[in-house]
Amino acid sequence: MHSLAWLAWLVAAIAALSATRNPLYLLLAVACLALVGVSLPQEPSRLSRPFAVWKFGLLLIGLAAIFNALISHYGETRLFTIPGRLPLVSGDVTLEALVYGATNGLALAGLLGAFWVLGQTLPVRALVGLIPRAFYPLAVVATIAVTYLPATLRQFQQIREAQAVRGHALRGLRDWLPLFMPLLVGGLERALQLSEAMTARGFASQGKPVGSIWQRAWPRLAMLAGLLLLAGGWVVRLSVKAEWIGWLGLAPGVGLIGLGLWASGLRYPRSTYRPPPWQAKDTLTLVGALLVLAVLWLPLPGSGSVALWYTPYPTLHIPPFDVRLGVALLGLLGPLMFSLRSRRALR
Amino acid sequence: MRSRLLSIAIYLVAGASGLLALLYPFFQPAIQAGQAAPGQMRAGEMPVMMTLLLGLCVVVLLAEAQGQALSTRMVALLGVLVALNSALRFLETAIPGPGGFSPMFFLIILVGYVFGGRVGFLMGALTLLVSALVTGGVGPWLPGQMFTAGWVGMSTPLLRPLVRAVQRGQARARQRLSSNSKHSGLTSEVLVLAAFGLGWGFLYGGLMNLWEWPFIAGPQNQSWAAGMGLLDALQRYAAYYLVTSLAWDLAGAAGNLVLMLTFGAPALRALKRFRQRFTFVYHPPVGADREQPPQSALEQGV
Repeated sequence: MHSLAWLAWLVAAIAALSATRNPLYLLLAVACLALVGVSLPQEPSRLSRPFAVWKFGLLLIGLAAIFNALISHYGETRLFTIPGRLPLVSGDVTLEALVYGATNGLALAGLLGAFWVLGQTLPVRALVGLIPRAFYPLAVVATIAVTYLPATLRQFQQIREAQAVRGHALRGLRDWLPLFMPLLVGGLERALQLSEAMTARGFASQGKPVGSIWQRAWPRLAMLAGLLLLAGGWVVRLSVKAEWIGWLGLAPGVGLIGLGLWASGLRYPRSTYRPPPWQAKDTLTLVGALLVLAVLWLPLPGSGSVALWYTPYPTLHIPPFDVRLGVALLGLLGPLMFSLRSRRALR
Repeated sequence: MRSRLLSIAIYLVAGASGLLALLYPFFQPAIQAGQAAPGQMRAGEMPVMMTLLLGLCVVVLLAEAQGQALSTRMVALLGVLVALNSALRFLETAIPGPGGFSPMFFLIILVGYVFGGRVGFLMGALTLLVSALVTGGVGPWLPGQMFTAGWVGMSTPLLRPLVRAVQRGQARARQRLSSNSKHSGLTSEVLVLAAFGLGWGFLYGGLMNLWEWPFIAGPQNQSWAAGMGLLDALQRYAAYYLVTSLAWDLAGAAGNLVLMLTFGAPALRALKRFRQRFTFVYHPPVGADREQPPQSALEQGV
């Protein structure tokens, strides 16, 4: 699938998980993410995490629930009381605090899961390819780093084995010095060789110098003005009642920064070897993501967005659930629908 | 000169805007008492807004730093050093250290000190980016991490005057004592850098905590509430930090200190030696024969 379609899906997932603390919608969103994550093929060459993401998610939910229940003594449904005068901990442990903590943990686990799905399905080269053209030198740095990382880990292992053959043992912190210094110096030597090879092949990180001083400076000025507008707009949005006034600064600020980046990127002509095609599945994913974003962010009449607001305090009650909103959240299943279709076709 | 002033303005504005995004719980003096649904609307919106603002600040800072700092040699140097630092972070993920201990700040501080603030910023920000890409650690917290780790590297050159002052003081003290022993000044340099790492260990944790603080319900004397004043917010955050994070960050800060004291001197020597090799520029003599190789090729160090 196209990396931009995945990006749209990710934005929709973040928006869905951030917009509500209603556990029913959170569960629905997390279930959608889990289904998508389970159904899609994974990138085999990725360095694996030392623990499974679902286990970490459950741990996160459990810890958040326990932590909140122990330190937050609000709520009317008392489970038990921690006696004594322990600072922070002593007091009533309530069901409401437990549920509120678990809900926060669920949102956090969902965010983690969304990025995990993206990380597992998109290869690193596609992620690096998302870096805008204005950051060409940094994209090269990131590419070098991603390419050299496995080599660095291998080199560390080789140094360790070589030192072990010489009788070196790791007993204290200082014993790491004979491992770290060859790794550092070896890396620096490789950097020198790499820069010479890059120069010999005509690499120029600075791009083409274009136009007059003014022509070179205006993208930077646009970004500076954009930042000022952005910060000003945010302060206004935080401090006045009419929130829309803040958007008068925020929207042009984002636009000016984007314009500055676009203009800076013109210095670096870009060509793509075998560009990924935009297919029907990408359109499906994009439409699903846009549906979620529209329902969450736009003041659509009858979208049922009131049901998003929920707090278990002061007494735990059943969260509201609007079916229309639930159906809209199913837009996150866009990649899954295609995946099921293609699996059926393979059979 | 104008370009330099513009550059300074961009760094200041982007830095201040990023700090504003991180520190907004303190700068939100009297948030609408009469909101439609108190706290709810903003609680959902805040992480997105904070990520957006911090992300754009990081983007602008990266654009500015790359334009000024990156020659071909620096691109290669940064690529390899970021790979090395990401490997350290990967090892840390696989074998977790105590509390908030992370070995990556050691190299960020040294690179910033030796190669300058812009390279230090890029080193910090890109280390977090690349290590997140390869370990699947990309998340809404990433812009904040990149911003703060970048500033760890960016702020390191501020230590140079302090190191020079300490070294001058030591030299005068040695003269008074009529000591003939040669002293390289490396010890004082490493001590200053170690103290700096110790400080940033706490500061990094303190700044990153601000991400979740407004959204955690807790005892009234520790949790954020809309409409409270600056002093009250500071007191509550201090209490929250002492209870929940001090021990965690202590491990991180102590780790920075110990790593710098143990590995700082040899690593600093190696980086300084390579700085001479990475930053040399060949200037052909004035009026040189036209048959000499082109200047651009020589400036690239071919």
